[in-house]
Amino acid sequence: MWSYAFKRAGTTAVTLLAASIIIFAFIHIVPGDPIYVLLGDTATPDQIDALRHQLGLDQPIILQYLTWAGHVLEGDLGRSIFFQAPVLSVIADGAETSTLLATMTMIWVAVIGVPIGMIAAVRHGTWLDQGLSGAAMLMASIPTFWVGLYLILIFAAWLGWFPSSGYPSIFEGGVVNLRYLVLPSLALAAPNAALILRLTRASMLDVSREDYVRTARAKGIRPWQVVRRHIWRNALLAVVSAFGFTFAALLSEAVVTETVFALPGIGRLVVQSILRRDYPVIQGVILVIVVVYLLINLIVDLSYRLLDPRVELQ
Amino acid sequence: MRYGPSVLMRGVVGLVTASFLLAQANAATLLREATIGEPPPLDVMLTTADVASVIGRHIFETLYALDSTYTPRPMLAESDGTEDGGRTIVIKLREGVLFHNGKEMTAKDVVASMTRWGSFGARGKLLMAAATSVEATGKYEVTLKLSAPNGAWKALIADVNGGLAIYPEDIAAKAGNRPIEQKDYIGTGPYKFVEWRPNRYVEVERFDGYKPVKEKGDGFAGARVAGFDKIRFIPVPDVGTRVSGVQAGDYDYAEMISGDLYESLSKDSSVQVQRTNAPIFGLFFMNSKQGILKDNYKLRRAIQTALDKSQALRVAFGPKDLWNAEGSIFPNGTPWYSTDGASNYSAHDPKKAKELAKEADYTGTPIRLLVSTNYQAHYDEASVFTRQLADAGINVQMMVVDWATLLKMRGQPEQWDIFVTHHSFAPDPLLLTFLNASYPGWWDSPEIGSLRAELINTTDPAARKSTWGKIQSLIYEQVPVMKVGDAYTYDIASPKLKGLNPNGPVFWNVSTK
Repeated sequence: MWSYAFKRAGTTAVTLLAASIIIFAFIHIVPGDPIYVLLGDTATPDQIDALRHQLGLDQPIILQYLTWAGHVLEGDLGRSIFFQAPVLSVIADGAETSTLLATMTMIWVAVIGVPIGMIAAVRHGTWLDQGLSGAAMLMASIPTFWVGLYLILIFAAWLGWFPSSGYPSIFEGGVVNLRYLVLPSLALAAPNAALILRLTRASMLDVSREDYVRTARAKGIRPWQVVRRHIWRNALLAVVSAFGFTFAALLSEAVVTETVFALPGIGRLVVQSILRRDYPVIQGVILVIVVVYLLINLIVDLSYRLLDPRVELQ
Repeated sequence: MRYGPSVLMRGVVGLVTASFLLAQANAATLLREATIGEPPPLDVMLTTADVASVIGRHIFETLYALDSTYTPRPMLAESDGTEDGGRTIVIKLREGVLFHNGKEMTAKDVVASMTRWGSFGARGKLLMAAATSVEATGKYEVTLKLSAPNGAWKALIADVNGGLAIYPEDIAAKAGNRPIEQKDYIGTGPYKFVEWRPNRYVEVERFDGYKPVKEKGDGFAGARVAGFDKIRFIPVPDVGTRVSGVQAGDYDYAEMISGDLYESLSKDSSVQVQRTNAPIFGLFFMNSKQGILKDNYKLRRAIQTALDKSQALRVAFGPKDLWNAEGSIFPNGTPWYSTDGASNYSAHDPKKAKELAKEADYTGTPIRLLVSTNYQAHYDEASVFTRQLADAGINVQMMVVDWATLLKMRGQPEQWDIFVTHHSFAPDPLLLTFLNASYPGWWDSPEIGSLRAELINTTDPAARKSTWGKIQSLIYEQVPVMKVGDAYTYDIASPKLKGLNPNGPVFWNVSTK
């Protein structure tokens, strides 16, 4: 176990180093410049050069990278050019929204996707299975922004049950502010629940064809016990992996939903920062996302061992 | 002793009523404005971004402000006078004006702000390039000396957009060319800066020490009364969400709504439509420094002659209420309106265009048109014109990039032949970007050089108007830019809001009563 943890820490460090170089290089290769965006239409070349010098953007790219990496090692991700605030605090603010949104979405996904997937698998080949699979296809096919706009129109503009957009922090208004995340999490849950539903169904069907399941049935164990003990638990490995990566993706890739619902999340932050070339924020956010992916990957790997004692961590 | 249910009920009703009334009395009035996106730093001197100006106008003030006819009126200034044939300008300041830090504004603050604006302000060079000195000649008096008179000086310092906002002396003096920090967002406006939560909101609150001018509010000029305790400027990038948010009562005001929703929203009783009276106009800049269009006025006129501007405006802006195919650079009804040269505005004559192109020895070399998709209207206009130019045998190659890339590329003359942008309404021709020889496009022919000097140095309004007519004729002859047409943006607001300002979204003198 310890040697496994040590190895993983080593590979994680190498991955992070490589990721940081790639992030830095790619962002600076893209044409465009924050100074032009910052100073606007009428800035003269002198003004642009002077501010570029002040911000250290006229330094050789390798020097800029080393300076940035040095600060990162000290826990300082730099200051946002546009927000005039430490990158870490900008990310922390966005992370609250993204984490809560992803968590609420995953709750919907778990509540809707997994049980229905199980029912579809158990009733494999029946009209119920066909109907549920068809509905899942439909949910996966409808674009999230379209679902989002209609949820806003019906539940916010017409019925007034939920706020249309925005998210004031729960640290300011209490957990009641979670109501701001109900509609966006439902919009995000629709395609993801459909995928988890299909995965649960497929995975359970695969396992149900295994010899040990046939043996269990031959021994006369009750059908629901076969499902619960023999099929479900073994089918869970694939579903857990998908859960992990869906959660990680939701943290950083919910940009369309965040834009439609005007949520101050990580996805919107990174896209907006790319458009404005706010280099410190882009670098910081992507680095944090890489770390989160690596952590979730690790948690998923460790959970395999809990779910299936035969899995050995090497 | 026993209390009957009716006594209990009355007690409960009384308590609920009392707490409701108390809550009403304590409720701070808050205006929530949905903006199109996150602003850059609110150092309004340095930036010309509209989203920063809209917020910044509530915090910072200028010596003069534009009234509803776009005429400069005193704001922080009390009065002014000129000497030495217009070369010396003496501005007397209003007394008792307080900054948000509680200190009184004096001539020292104005001098420090003017000095910084002259060196680093987005529009500072327009006035201060000719400044020989700026001094505090009294506690409330500033004297600006110029090497040559400037007929537009008041208009050049009458708005915060890249303009001379007055900051406290210490802040202006130490800031240099870097945007000022948030803690230094200290102005004299009716609202003061509270906080900026990235991607959530920028919040300002009523400044109790604000001393308005005596004149009645008119445009951006006159008395400014803060009708709300707080205003939140909330970035809501999706236009559909901005609209639904106002309809649902989550926002009180939403900016920049798309043309396709105009007709339905005009009939919607849950919102009021607020169309601006200051149109923006699309501009296609020609490269006067390098490439196929350099000094090639005939080919430029060929391009101009081939185009039907109405078609592009219809595609880009939708309903006829929202655009006007107007050849005058300044819209009809404003002091600078002129028809000089405008007959060439939208000829849509491909045959004549072909002849002109032939006379210009054009052989089908691709003309590189740089455009961004960040502004849908720019892309729509470019697409329509590319098609129309193809009909006239002119081969346009669109280079589509994002806005940040376009801003950088347009500064490199070897990269493009035409680029697309738009221009906000300007109260004086000197504020037009294409009259600035260092602005990408670099229009600096001998003819415009002498006319520009004439426009700057003439102080008589009638003579300046006549010079502007000559410049507009020259624009249609040398075609440094092509105006697409006037586009009237519109916003929507809660029907409860009263006193909205058609000159632009500002929320002083606005209330729900």
